[in-house]
Amino acid sequence: MAEVVLSRVRRDFGAVTAVHDLNLAIAEGEFVSLLGPSGCGKTTTLRMLAGLEFPTGGEIRIGGRVVNDVPPAKRDIAMVFQSYALYPHLSVADNIAYPLKKRGVPRAERRPKVERTAELLQLTPLLDRKPRQLSGGQQQRVALGRALVRDPKVFLLDEPLSNLDAKLRIHMRAELVELHQRLGRTMVYVTHDQLEAMTMSDRIAIIDQGRLQQFAPPQEVYHAPANRFVAGFIGTPGMNLIEGTLSQEGGAWCFTAPGLRIAVGQLTDDAQAGPATLGLRPEDVTVGAGPVSGIVRVVEQSGHENIIIVEIAGNERLTLRIPASILPRTGDTVALAPDATHAHVFAAGEAGQRLNTATARPRPQTL
Amino acid sequence: MRFVRRIFFNLAAWAVVLAVAFPLFWMIVTSVKPQFELFRRPPTFLPDTFTLEHYARLLIDTAFLVYFKNSVILATTTTVIVVAIATLGAYSLVRFRYRGRENLAFLVLFTYLLPSVVLLLPLYLMLVRVGLSNTIASLVVAYTTFALPYALWLLRSFMAGIPEDLESAALVDGASRLGAFWDVILPQLLPGIISTALFTFILSWNEYLYALVLVNSDSARPLTTGVVNMLVSAFNIEWSLLMAASVMMSVPLIVVFAFLQSYLTRGFGAGAVKG
Repeated sequence: MAEVVLSRVRRDFGAVTAVHDLNLAIAEGEFVSLLGPSGCGKTTTLRMLAGLEFPTGGEIRIGGRVVNDVPPAKRDIAMVFQSYALYPHLSVADNIAYPLKKRGVPRAERRPKVERTAELLQLTPLLDRKPRQLSGGQQQRVALGRALVRDPKVFLLDEPLSNLDAKLRIHMRAELVELHQRLGRTMVYVTHDQLEAMTMSDRIAIIDQGRLQQFAPPQEVYHAPANRFVAGFIGTPGMNLIEGTLSQEGGAWCFTAPGLRIAVGQLTDDAQAGPATLGLRPEDVTVGAGPVSGIVRVVEQSGHENIIIVEIAGNERLTLRIPASILPRTGDTVALAPDATHAHVFAAGEAGQRLNTATARPRPQTL
Repeated sequence: MRFVRRIFFNLAAWAVVLAVAFPLFWMIVTSVKPQFELFRRPPTFLPDTFTLEHYARLLIDTAFLVYFKNSVILATTTTVIVVAIATLGAYSLVRFRYRGRENLAFLVLFTYLLPSVVLLLPLYLMLVRVGLSNTIASLVVAYTTFALPYALWLLRSFMAGIPEDLESAALVDGASRLGAFWDVILPQLLPGIISTALFTFILSWNEYLYALVLVNSDSARPLTTGVVNMLVSAFNIEWSLLMAASVMMSVPLIVVFAFLQSYLTRGFGAGAVKG
């Protein structure tokens, strides 16, 4: 009932187009993140879903109903704002009760609902306080409470965790996931933090410069990025992207760059011999033995693993993730073996499309 | 050295306070001295004989209460009109995007820059033509024209300080635009509204020039011109009555000020930074 569908949605601000013909079909009960760098149009998209911003073209449907001209109050949605947007002059209880009040729920019915919501979010002792007397995490929970109390069809969350400190953010992340599982409601979550998107979502919509780059589950986004932008954007440290040449030798594709030569397996029909980009995740190169040699430039130890930066021929630098048990020193010459089955190939240029035919890595098994 | 400096600053500060406060003190003292004591030499600082006869005479024998009532009506009406228009105007200037929005705001400010004397005659002629001469309403119109620009700018800076997300949240929570304005914007704007109201009230309470030119019937005269007209003539100035009237004119302002002082200083601060 509460699927959210955007068809060719467009939003212009004067001469600037913030969102280009966006198509997105979000299933009922799904947790979808809109992920992208600042200014990519993800918040504008969310505000259009909320009815706070109106599309200049296209169609938005919530639960089968076209809502292009429906004011926010009539869309049966709830939104959590990055700034929380708590009403400063109202107590926590009145903040949570406000959406009920505006929908004409009688006072007697409001109280138990507010109390139930407060209990769910551990806000009961704070009900009489004003927002400014709360910590950031508590304010955040009040904002959530205000969204939850009404049981709307769709939740819209605009970077709700970005103002919290790191520890609280991880805690709230887990709470939100649990909440989503319990409520089973459609949630659209805007973030620029890929870790949040990866850990929480059923699917991630990656947006850049107002255009959808990929819309897929987190594992797929990570293991089969649709293009060079997604490849570079997802993953910390980022994927190593190496410019080189693609050639076909006896029916097999081969990628060559200075000091590096790698058979890349099956490619799509779009693949052409000539310039291309090779993508290697930091964990997809083994250090110790192999055909590529390089000099260690930087070593970062983080306890459970080491991150090293190795310079190979042609001044190309690779960032690699290696087990904590292997600890090279800066200046060492090391041998590297790129894992050809996990190599990604993209067409040449900044917007190069993925050329591999299949997901290189099998889906993880469920227990 | 530091001690000397502190004494010096304290003395300087007290000198300023004295210079400002002495006329007020003298006004109160004069109003409770009997007539014969006023011109005695050397003058008495504190009255030898304390009397309230001037107050009694003002309230009973003169039109003081009529003027007072006129001033209250005048200042209150002007304040209500100015605050209502300025609040909605500021909301529009800050929240809605339309062509010429900034120019409009500056045009309004520009009218505030004109000396009020320049506007006096044209305004008088216009008011006569629409048949408002010699009424309290004519003064309400006149005061609104010069209080509104400043009020609009003051409230605009307050309004700009209210996060747009608050209003968006109210809209998503089920409020209409007007509902969101009423439930969320107005309570946030309250300090701004109070300081704007104070500013307008004081301005219309104390205004003299327009009151002198636009109104010359006793039934419509406000306190400022009424008192002077009644007590100052070419041959005689009734000093003790004048001072008693001045005290009673100041009392409402002082009371209002005392209650709303903290809001007022906040208001001037906001205006100073952003306006």
